[in-house]
Amino acid sequence: MKLAVFLGAAAVVLAGAWWRVRGETLRLRARLEAAVESLERLQRSLARVAPEQLVDRIAAGGLPTRGERKEVTVLFADIVGFTALSERLEPHVLVEVLNGYFARMNRAIDAHRGHVSTLIGDGILALFGAFEPNPWQGDDAVHAALAMRAALDEYNRELENRGLPRLAVGIGLHRGVGVAGLVGSPERKDFAVVGGPVNVAARVQGLTRRYETDALLTEDLQRTLDPRFLLRRFPPAELRGISRPVPVFAVDGFAASGA
Amino acid sequence: MAAMPGTAIQDVPLQDVEWEECCLQPGRNPELERELRAEFGMVPPAARYFADCPWIGRSLVAFHFERGRLVHLPADLTDRIGLVVSQDSSCRYCYAAHRLILRSLGLSESRIRRLEQDLLAADHAPRERAILDFARAFSRASPLPTQDDIRSLRQAGLDEAAVKEVAVVAGYSVAACRFSTLPALPPQRLEALPDRWFMRVARPLLARAIRRGFRPGRPERLAPEQAAGPFAFLVRELDGLPLARSMRQVIDEAWASPLLPRRTKGLVFAVVARGLGCPLSEQEATRLLAAEGLEPQALRPVLEHLASPDLDPTEREAVPFARETIWYRPASIQRRAREVCGQLGAPRFLELLGVAALANMVCRLAATFHALR
Repeated sequence: MKLAVFLGAAAVVLAGAWWRVRGETLRLRARLEAAVESLERLQRSLARVAPEQLVDRIAAGGLPTRGERKEVTVLFADIVGFTALSERLEPHVLVEVLNGYFARMNRAIDAHRGHVSTLIGDGILALFGAFEPNPWQGDDAVHAALAMRAALDEYNRELENRGLPRLAVGIGLHRGVGVAGLVGSPERKDFAVVGGPVNVAARVQGLTRRYETDALLTEDLQRTLDPRFLLRRFPPAELRGISRPVPVFAVDGFAASGA
Repeated sequence: MAAMPGTAIQDVPLQDVEWEECCLQPGRNPELERELRAEFGMVPPAARYFADCPWIGRSLVAFHFERGRLVHLPADLTDRIGLVVSQDSSCRYCYAAHRLILRSLGLSESRIRRLEQDLLAADHAPRERAILDFARAFSRASPLPTQDDIRSLRQAGLDEAAVKEVAVVAGYSVAACRFSTLPALPPQRLEALPDRWFMRVARPLLARAIRRGFRPGRPERLAPEQAAGPFAFLVRELDGLPLARSMRQVIDEAWASPLLPRRTKGLVFAVVARGLGCPLSEQEATRLLAAEGLEPQALRPVLEHLASPDLDPTEREAVPFARETIWYRPASIQRRAREVCGQLGAPRFLELLGVAALANMVCRLAATFHALR
């Protein structure tokens, strides 16, 4: 009798313990699933800001420190007269106008297989051919510049209807070999392409004011382009940090019927 | 459907990935249906959409891996490879198809979920882990598989023939994802099926029926006539495996199909090869095009700028579209596909998407086999 009571009590205790362990296991499994789900989401989101291969490497073994040389086409865009504009507009209006601008430019770049690498104030640095191999990166970048021009025209009409000032943009494009990798301090790193192509594109963008045009590209890019792009040659320009004068071309359009 | 990329980057769960309406209507092709029924015991729902271009449907039979096509790989690994590739490609249709098969084989929803999570958490056995990692890199092709990718497989104990089988299984998954994603085959029924009451009741029977169909393949040599033809260099690499015959059959049928001219198909192969950076496949496509009368100097502007005054109206649609099939987001490629389908008509559009899918498979395989040497 005593044995039966003892065995019964032991069974109840064991069942209780099993029930608690099972509950704990289920809770842990649910937390693990939630954590893995957010990790998955994070990994997929990261793939928008760095090449997937790099994201995989980060997920597998931390931050790689080595960069690699890549041929890329760089598009650098900047709003003309932004400082004056920022002084004229109320901060909340300025932010709204800027956000509308960035959204439209981003769509134009994305539609032509470019990736916005960095926003520097009102400036946009976009890369073509940095994430996946892209033999058509030059054509893509110039099509993106034309799409940005069209999107800005449309946005300006909208701004004008709301009584807001029009925006003007200068775009510089260049193709060359840069070093791609994770760059930054131990606390903060970004996927970036550094070196010649980025500097040249930024300097060429600066020339758009001097030549009174909204989009300029270098001869290095022009040599690789579809002949249907309508380009206008300017005299070679001296660029800071570049030893020889760089021939540049204004982008006037694209003759789609030329094929 | 054995399942694949668009290396399609999405930061939402797969069942929430934006998916357009299908641009094709299901049709009937009694001969194709007989063949599919003989192989699968049923007509896979996807095959009805390929009625106008039967070689795509027949490729399901040729690459029915579980039925004597694999000598070195266990048959139950094919669906896991397919799951990885379709997940990575954001192909809702193939993903749902692979989940359905895995559920039918008796894997619970939570077990499949764990399988997907383990892919991320590196909890697989080293051999399986290496195979699934390779499948993912193969599908992304950014860049194409290299000797490093092969080395991981060899270190996990796979010999050359087994590596080739893994590559072909991943390759057909890449193609199948394009067959399904580009026309936006409707995934909703497949997604809901595992939870229907009759599926739950029939699961044990289904599992037994599927497993009974598993049959290992036997090594076989290529007949001399099979060692020639388009992309013969690729087929010869598979000599000794039943997959060589499958590959020969599918490439030959695609090349011989009358819906699109061979020149158009050659251009699609050449553009995909250039986009993926596969010089071997580009050379072969250039050779095939020269045989169709398009000389290399006339091909050059097409490959440099995806346009040329020498292209006919169909080619002007096909060439830029071929490029878009390499990396894409499902909804945007589906909107483009609808436009192209409207321009070319469904049968010719089907052949175009089929050839583009095949080219994506072939170029990845060519790079893999080259890296093996």
